[in-house]
Amino acid sequence: MKTIKLASVLACLVALLFPAIAFAQSDPGVRSNTGVNAGQPFASVTANANDLAFFQTGLAQFNEHQTVTGDNSGLGPRFNLDTCGGCHSQPAPGGTSPASGIFPNVGPNPQSQVIANGVVSGSTNTIPSFIAANGPVREARFPFFFNSNGSPNTNAPNGGVEDLFTVSGRSDAGSCSLQQPSFAVAQSTNNIIFRIPTPTFGTGLMANIDDSTLLANHAAQANNGVGISGTFNHNGNDGTISRFGWKAQNKSLMIFAGEAYNVEMGISNELFTQDRPLPGEDQLGSGLPANCLNLAGTGYPEDITHSNGTNASTVTSDVGLFNVFMQFLDQPTPSTTSPGGATSIANGRRLFSAIGCAICHTPSLTTQPSKLTAGLGNATANLFSDIEIHHMGATLADNVSQGGAGGDQFRTAPLWGLGQRIFFLHDGRCSNLLCAIEAHESNGGEATTVEAIFDQNLTPSQQQDILNFLRSL
Amino acid sequence: MRIYFSRFLVLLGLSISILAWAQGAPQSGGDFSNNSQPKKLPTETILVKGAWWSASDSVTPLPEGGLVTNNIYSNPYFRLTYGLSPDWTEKYSGPPPSDSGYYVLAQIRPADTFKGTSRGSILIAAQDLFFTLTPAGNALELINYNKESLNADYKMEQPPTVVRIADHSFVRFDYGSPVAELHWHVLATQIRCHMVQFVFTSRDTKLIESLIQEMNKMTLPDEAGPISGRGGGDVPVCIKDYASGENVIERVDPVFAERRFNPVPVRIIIDKEGKVKHIHFLSAFPDQAKAISDAFTQWRFKPYLRGGKPVEVETGIMFGRAPRPMTSVATGAVSE
Repeated sequence: MKTIKLASVLACLVALLFPAIAFAQSDPGVRSNTGVNAGQPFASVTANANDLAFFQTGLAQFNEHQTVTGDNSGLGPRFNLDTCGGCHSQPAPGGTSPASGIFPNVGPNPQSQVIANGVVSGSTNTIPSFIAANGPVREARFPFFFNSNGSPNTNAPNGGVEDLFTVSGRSDAGSCSLQQPSFAVAQSTNNIIFRIPTPTFGTGLMANIDDSTLLANHAAQANNGVGISGTFNHNGNDGTISRFGWKAQNKSLMIFAGEAYNVEMGISNELFTQDRPLPGEDQLGSGLPANCLNLAGTGYPEDITHSNGTNASTVTSDVGLFNVFMQFLDQPTPSTTSPGGATSIANGRRLFSAIGCAICHTPSLTTQPSKLTAGLGNATANLFSDIEIHHMGATLADNVSQGGAGGDQFRTAPLWGLGQRIFFLHDGRCSNLLCAIEAHESNGGEATTVEAIFDQNLTPSQQQDILNFLRSL
Repeated sequence: MRIYFSRFLVLLGLSISILAWAQGAPQSGGDFSNNSQPKKLPTETILVKGAWWSASDSVTPLPEGGLVTNNIYSNPYFRLTYGLSPDWTEKYSGPPPSDSGYYVLAQIRPADTFKGTSRGSILIAAQDLFFTLTPAGNALELINYNKESLNADYKMEQPPTVVRIADHSFVRFDYGSPVAELHWHVLATQIRCHMVQFVFTSRDTKLIESLIQEMNKMTLPDEAGPISGRGGGDVPVCIKDYASGENVIERVDPVFAERRFNPVPVRIIIDKEGKVKHIHFLSAFPDQAKAISDAFTQWRFKPYLRGGKPVEVETGIMFGRAPRPMTSVATGAVSE
């Protein structure tokens, strides 16, 4: 009798629990059954031999490893990695942070391998604790300068990049001896934030959207009934809308490339013409020490336009090539069937729009005519972003101000290519879409009501449709 | 000998202090290993605010100043109180006012103790009609515009209709999403030249109706109505673009030290003598607010007369960028 009762109870429990398990929504994960769906040039670039040569030279330069001296000189004295393509590699060159064991298995976080690979000296550098082989590539910033007692000085905003590594101890670095920033103290005082690389697929299309299109979209989304109201970051020189970077702080891809070459790799160029000290070394100290300057021995800037080149691609500076490479990178190709099937993806797309996600994550915007290549002109950019900056609230706030963007304002992250991304949000804190969606709900955040609708008013099946749709991108 | 040693120690201490001072504050790459317990920054706190709201005094009520206390949302600026249903709560506060004059006043949802089967959310929001990007001069026009611009994701369930709530007129507009099986019921009125709206969202229209019924317990100022809310009485009269033309007797433009190109919407209250009595920056950097405050001390206005007597007037001015033009006008509008 007891056995029968127990069996009945178990049967009831299974009957009750099974539907919940069957309909519990989950992130389908990185889409792996459709091949790599990003990283290709526009068809109009492929069809033009000169443009294609430019693109391929840019790609090669993007993946090139730089050294302090020699043929590919200029690295350091401080840097985050020795190549663009190491950080921007998932799922293809131009993308974002990779991981081992996740499609297409690009490899471990390259920053975790710099000592093993001989990029930095293990006797003078350590791998910061927030860099892990299976974690995201990270850039570190200290929101505030420190007082002399090691406490953050909230009256002295910093926010500049603190490069992780130094060239000190390398055989090609001479007597340059620099310490890494005090990451341990910064972590113990909560005075550190992270940024992960933004993918660059389709960024040429973003560069080619006129301000009038963005302003019209902004006005059309007003009075939305879900609490959203963004604004734009502006270029301080001409007052137009800036659009690249996590806070839309950069006006153009050329500036974006020049800044990254200088800040992330320590290579001076025609846009950022000096070797870059840390914010503290520059603003509170006396700059870089003399024995850490001109390490390449070439003079400045280390990357220049080459007057002795024989064609467009050999004349152009590295920064110019990066710009062309990014301009010519087509937008990622979404899947119409994977994951979850065509019906679920289509339904998810409609739900995404209906509950208000698409107010900020604008599905598409049209570009203006392009002189660069036909693929960039009068095209539909399926970026899923309004390029506005929005208050994301206290949970995501990084307390870094860039241009007009305050400490909790971020550009709406474009979602194209999301299906093959591993890490989400500005600091890569999430690798599960549900975690990223949840982070949209916060004190002071604009997306709280929309997140609450997703969380509390959709059925698990509807939530799954949205997750499938997002992973189809 | 001891005296010499003491002097030596004092000198050594002084030398170290001077050396430390000469080196300035430690660089971000500095060595703090001798400091065992430096102070921590609070987590989940917005310390660097960028363009943010502020005001010239802390006494005059502001639109964003409402609070939920003892399950009642009360807003001294709009002079309204709204009792939340039992087991409903405000879990998260809203963002700061936007640079187009949009306010999230409160976001209400079921509390963790809520035992009902249907869930939903209530958004209490306001739009400053002096700075709206939408071609609308009052709350009724704004809701009519929303109806006209309803996108294809939604289906209208009830066109804008004037209804009575708590003895005041509201305009009600219902729409829904067939794919999401969700309903949005919007009730809006106008107070002090702001559209104040309650947006109810749920799968369950009965739940929404019960929540709307409970709105009858709220208290509102006499002026509240879809087109009538223009201040007056105990609060200043609100007049769009009052700070222009012949109304301005003396004007000194603020000088911004840094060009940031962000819109800086400002509401001011002008006293009976024509001086600026109160300044509310909806969105401004601190240096912009300072420059504008300094300039306003020199502004003089023609006093606004009502019935031959001067009264206080509230108006809006956009600094930083020119106001955006309104592009179209709603058609097929319903009137109050």
